[in-house]
Amino acid sequence: MSNPTPSVGPGLPETQSLATDTVTAPAPPQPGKKAKDAKPASLWSDAWYDLRRRPMFIMSVIIILILLVMSAFPWLFTSIDPFDARSCDLSTARQAPSAGHIFGKDNLGCDVYAKVIYGARNSIIIGVFTTLVTTFIGSLLGMIAGFRSGVVDAVSSRFTEIFFAIPPILGALLIGATFRGRINSIILVIAALGVLGWPMTFRIMRAAVITAKNQDFVLAARALGAGAGRIMLRHLLPNSLAPVIVVATINLGGYIAAEAALSFLSVGVQSPDISWGLMIADARTRFLEAPLPLFFPAAFLSVTVLAFIMMGDAVRDALDPKLR
Amino acid sequence: MGRYVIRRLIQAIPVLIGATLLIFVIVFALPGDPIAALFGDKRPDPAVAEVLREQYHLNDPLLLQYWYYISGVFLRLDFGVTFADVPVSELLLGKFQVTLNLALMALVMEAIIGVGLGLWAALRRGKATDTAILASTLLLISVPTLVSGFVLQLILGVKLKQWTGADIFPVAGTSAGWRAYLLPGFVLAGTSIAYLTRLTRTSLAETLRADYIRTATAKGLSRRRVIGRHGLRNALIPLVTYLGADLGNLMGGAVITESIFNLPGIGNQLFNSVYLREQPVVVGIVTVLVLIYILANLVVDLLYAVLDPRIRYE
Amino acid sequence: MRVTKGARIVAGTALLALAVAACGSGASDGGGTAAGGDETPVRMEIGEPQELLNPQNTTETEGAEVLAAVFEPLVNYDENKEPVEAAAESITTTDSKVWTIKLKSGYTWHDGKPVTAADYARAWNYAANQDNAMSSSYFFGRIDGYEDVHPGEGKTPTTKEMKGLKVVDDLTLEVTLSAPFSQFKTMLGYTAFYPMPEVALGADGKITQAYGEQPIGQGLFKVDKPYKKGTDQSIDLTVYDKFPGTKPTNWKKLQFKIYTSSETAYNDLQADNLDIHDSLPASTINSAKAALGDRYFDEPDAAVGYIGVPLKYNPDFKNVDVRKAISMAIDRETITETVFSGTRSPADDFINPAIPGYRKGACTACTYNPAEAKKLYDSAGGPKSIELGYNNDGGHKEWIEAVANNLRANLGIEVTPKPFEKFQGILDALDSKEYKGLFRMGWAIDYPSAENYLTPIFGTGAIETGSNYGGYSNKEFDELVAKGDQASTPEEGLQFYQQADDILLKDLPYIPIYFYRSNFGHSTKVKNVKLNLLNQVNWAEVEKA
Repeated sequence: MSNPTPSVGPGLPETQSLATDTVTAPAPPQPGKKAKDAKPASLWSDAWYDLRRRPMFIMSVIIILILLVMSAFPWLFTSIDPFDARSCDLSTARQAPSAGHIFGKDNLGCDVYAKVIYGARNSIIIGVFTTLVTTFIGSLLGMIAGFRSGVVDAVSSRFTEIFFAIPPILGALLIGATFRGRINSIILVIAALGVLGWPMTFRIMRAAVITAKNQDFVLAARALGAGAGRIMLRHLLPNSLAPVIVVATINLGGYIAAEAALSFLSVGVQSPDISWGLMIADARTRFLEAPLPLFFPAAFLSVTVLAFIMMGDAVRDALDPKLR
Repeated sequence: MGRYVIRRLIQAIPVLIGATLLIFVIVFALPGDPIAALFGDKRPDPAVAEVLREQYHLNDPLLLQYWYYISGVFLRLDFGVTFADVPVSELLLGKFQVTLNLALMALVMEAIIGVGLGLWAALRRGKATDTAILASTLLLISVPTLVSGFVLQLILGVKLKQWTGADIFPVAGTSAGWRAYLLPGFVLAGTSIAYLTRLTRTSLAETLRADYIRTATAKGLSRRRVIGRHGLRNALIPLVTYLGADLGNLMGGAVITESIFNLPGIGNQLFNSVYLREQPVVVGIVTVLVLIYILANLVVDLLYAVLDPRIRYE
Repeated sequence: MRVTKGARIVAGTALLALAVAACGSGASDGGGTAAGGDETPVRMEIGEPQELLNPQNTTETEGAEVLAAVFEPLVNYDENKEPVEAAAESITTTDSKVWTIKLKSGYTWHDGKPVTAADYARAWNYAANQDNAMSSSYFFGRIDGYEDVHPGEGKTPTTKEMKGLKVVDDLTLEVTLSAPFSQFKTMLGYTAFYPMPEVALGADGKITQAYGEQPIGQGLFKVDKPYKKGTDQSIDLTVYDKFPGTKPTNWKKLQFKIYTSSETAYNDLQADNLDIHDSLPASTINSAKAALGDRYFDEPDAAVGYIGVPLKYNPDFKNVDVRKAISMAIDRETITETVFSGTRSPADDFINPAIPGYRKGACTACTYNPAEAKKLYDSAGGPKSIELGYNNDGGHKEWIEAVANNLRANLGIEVTPKPFEKFQGILDALDSKEYKGLFRMGWAIDYPSAENYLTPIFGTGAIETGSNYGGYSNKEFDELVAKGDQASTPEEGLQFYQQADDILLKDLPYIPIYFYRSNFGHSTKVKNVKLNLLNQVNWAEVEKA
């Protein structure tokens, strides 16, 4: 049986079957589960060797590097500071692209190009930090649930299902609307996406730990008197990490797209901060009259998501020897 | 099997209660006074606001309010009323219809386009067609709904109409009947089409490597018969289950699509109700979506057993 | 009144300069010569009404638009924006305190029963009673005995009837106010003052659900079937044959189509799937001018948009020069043209041009003058950083951002636009001292009088109970308004109101930014579409083309 790709949508990571764990037949294998056959060191070096020769990977890394430079030093790309009100001239609103303003002007007469460049930073920050948060919470809880089994596992699995069952965008919309204005909007987006995003990692980690914990080297460590913490940290974690990393890489792109969706629903980044989603939302009112202020941030957003998903795809292929 | 279904349904109860309580608490914590919000830019008359607050139990503690709500749902199938005294169940029926239409349209497109492309790619595995299809799925996955929605709305909805004069893809509203769902349906289905294509491709390719296929080929059956009768049938299992589980995802994820195309579905309603702080509406929508999610997953697991005789449930 | 959707979020009781011959009493009993056969209705755009269709609980424009077709008001407004009797035969007073309303005979409810003065008393007593929680209760605050039925939060009404309402005979109602009010007659065209039939009330003395879904009125149209709010996409009406006033000449069916987006409605209008659209959004204006030609109309609307100043809460804005400088730094001309595409016009007075009493260019500090503004601001020592609050639910973000950019660029200060969920959120934050910045504010009048731009927003008494959110208080202003209220004629009253307006222009307690405009268009299938002073279509005059 084949394995449905862990999916990332224009929203949040999708859910997988609620109860594959209660089915007696073998559950669909998780990506990279076969990694257990290889020794950790060779798995990683093999993967790296493999990655370096994939054009998709190289391309995505180049795009991501450019984006990183753009977020760190946006002034290298444009001389206009979009945070300076004097750069906007309302009477030139929705002007078509010209030599000085290659992407034209938005509804407030501000330069679209400069805003797109400066908007990269928040997208990258939100993508990276949401991934870190979900990976950390999901892995930690998943490992404990998988290792402890019994009541702990049952309770935490039900608990996870609650978060799984709430449609992610709707849930994030609610959380965003509740706390908007009370805390920093970027932290809020990370928190809202994080709260609803971790169950995915939880499931993958839990499945990987359950497989790993019955293997000889774990049993041996236990026989030698290793504590639970040591077993989890030294033996289970390294052996269950591959699938988690794959999902994290792919999800990163999904979170960047989700930020845009939330900003579009006005619960994401708030002005005067700049984000691509916010630019899309603002341009929307005059979209049919002046589509360009919407298209440029949309294009940057798509390319960014594409780059991260391409990278994730490549990493998955590299870490999953079966597909090699 | 029957006992398995019952056990699954019992397991679902804490999930349902947990999810509704969670949503209830979040809506409770939403800033602002829902009654005052009804009065727009005017300050509400304090006496009138007080009577209304009393009427909708807004002065009661959170848990008591939750009890009123959840007991109404379980004991009387009563989902409460909106601030305009319209029963929530009545309100949601119409909205769910729109979203269900949209999700079904998306599902049909997924099934036709996704499986079609996947088959094509699997049969041409390793060739240029295969690579092209895989690359286009990557594109479909990467372009967020937010972007594809607007782009398609402008090009197929507005520009095409300007060039040809024919209104093939209406850009907003549901007045055009099923045609109104074509464009939004495709936008909503986009990512799933891509996954289904990939899934079909891998699934069929794997099945074609299986022993019984080799046996069938060795028996001298035609390639068409081998693929059609033996390969496709078994490759279908993960596809059907994927589609089943996706219905819930599509309904829950339709808010952006509904917003772009102005469809009066549950996503739109939820968006509005969050701002009006209409607790019963918000919780009602989420409750139904959670139920759909639970049932869809149950059906999917049962389908596994039906389609694959090797699977048995205790 | 409030408005529920996007662009005209505050353009509520729009009063149009283009007024309408108030329906004559000697109307022919003609009409009814419908073209026969399977008649397609005249289709009118609305947003979803916020409540069920109950006049006493309707204080927003969408529901009011429907109810205006189902009910005949006591007064309409003529082209001079003066109230003219409609369902009333006469409305008279000698002292502006005791008012005698005589009803025209011949009006019947849609179920056939005659309309009596008691039906008006019933409606007004019901609306004023706080136990009934009607949103229009405050309209009756000037009637003697209001305190008895509306004693306030935590208290119980001692009676169900206001002593100021007296049914003299079947067609005569005597209203006594608690204090003279020269503008009382102008209030009576409003939705809240419609009568209520006896059948509206159930056994428990409350309005029934059935009445809210299918109200029984005494107006031109009756409601065909119960309206299921949230589900139904239209509200269908048919001309009431026994209506004594003017009826449309060649059609009988009216349909209100409910839209969630006014852009969608505009598309339908262009495709002739909709006949009248009275809230064209800014994004469609350029297209509408070209596509509709002489079927596009642009009229003044009585609502006003301001930047509110928290005088009571923040000493930074105490100096009037600071407020003047801020006002002069805002480029109203470009904002109304670019952000609103002409659906607003630059404000230059506290009184709106749609209402008698407006003086063009009265607000000298409303003229854009960045250099002078900067000078004034620096010498007055205005704050280096200010916040600009707005509610997120009404499409205000763009113009607030534009104002913020103006202030940043012209005054060289830091400006942070601060979104709130709801307008109420701003008020709560001001009250609890969490927020001390400027805030946006809109005002749609409750009745067409200059007084309505003054007392409810700037009167000292309105700080606690009205809409004086900034806490402005000026004794001289209060006295002038009171003199206007007690004047024996509306004209005399207006002079005092304009003097009060002068004080506001000098003090600038709020900064007026724009006047609303009413932008509407109709399809090729209808003609002679005119909006009355409350922004409602005068249906009797509409003809099918």
